[in-house]
Amino acid sequence: MSIKSYEELDGMALDVMREIGSIGTGSAATALSALVGDTIKMTVPEIQIKEFNDAIDHLGGPEDIVAAILVQMSEDVKGTMLFLLRMDFVNAVLKRILGKEIENFFQLHEMEISVLTEVGNIMLSSYASAISTLAGMDIHLSVPAIAVNMLGGILAVPMAELGYETDQLMLINGKLILGNEKHDSTILMLPDIESLNKLMNKLVGGYDQQE
Amino acid sequence: MINKNSKEIKVGIADMKIARQEGVLITHALGSCIGITIYDPMIKLGALIHIMLPEATGAKSSSVYKFADTGIKETLRKLGAFGGRKNRYICKIAGGAQMFAGGGAAGALGHIGERNAESVKKVMQEEGIRIQKQDVGGTTARTMLMDVSTGEVKLRIIGKPEIIL
Repeated sequence: MSIKSYEELDGMALDVMREIGSIGTGSAATALSALVGDTIKMTVPEIQIKEFNDAIDHLGGPEDIVAAILVQMSEDVKGTMLFLLRMDFVNAVLKRILGKEIENFFQLHEMEISVLTEVGNIMLSSYASAISTLAGMDIHLSVPAIAVNMLGGILAVPMAELGYETDQLMLINGKLILGNEKHDSTILMLPDIESLNKLMNKLVGGYDQQE
Repeated sequence: MINKNSKEIKVGIADMKIARQEGVLITHALGSCIGITIYDPMIKLGALIHIMLPEATGAKSSSVYKFADTGIKETLRKLGAFGGRKNRYICKIAGGAQMFAGGGAAGALGHIGERNAESVKKVMQEEGIRIQKQDVGGTTARTMLMDVSTGEVKLRIIGKPEIIL
């Protein structure tokens, strides 16, 4: 039987997603370390499937101001991926790369935006490349797009993209560790349902054979 | 003025709430989504809808309020059952922004807000309801609230003072 929505992913499928998450975020942390010139580690992420409104409540308030980097996946896996950057992590990165910190998101100018876009891009492309390697599927990523705005409005973008198929999001939550600091990290991995089935067949196997 | 003591009734994404006489209907952080208020001033009956997509055609989802067409129609049916009359309705809309900038992904996903706004306007026109005020498009999220005791609609946008729509 094929999967019709994210919530139909079973324990084994979620374990596989967590494993991919761990490998993906691990390689992302290594790549980020090189960019910021400081060791970055990442905890083993948790995979959560949440209904739209629950996802926003889980990640903070709908009016919380965050930065987000979005890429579209194409080729064998289609869909979107999004990386959320909260203020404390934004400052941890800016401090190390540009030697400055900001007090609010309105102080983000061209240079800062470009650094954050690159951080998000590294995060998401390391992640996508881990999945691509493990599943033996080609994943092409678009040029990253950035938004600095209310959390609710930002998350509604990938939700709308998936909205004709499902009411849930797949969240990959972990902690990024820089020195003594721990920062929340959230990646949204949102293949369309057809791609999700393809991925699960490759990674878990048996989803098509169970009919 | 929106009465600060008035009870806030939260409207989620792909959701709709109706209130009568009192209460503040509020929906947070409309990005590419559209918030639609419909108010019957004679009986102080108000609804706030938070739609996410233009049309329900071909959708596998069961949520009527996710879509402009089915969401508005179902809301009008319910308002009618509460005694609301189309010829008295005051309708205001907000949202439909393009949230992401600067990449391939922004282009492909960016038009959803615009399409949402077009669909809402089309459905309202078909229903014969005039949209009295609107604040749509742009690049920023909006929180929309309506005080049902007065029909006043307000918008909150980051970095800007609250505006009355």
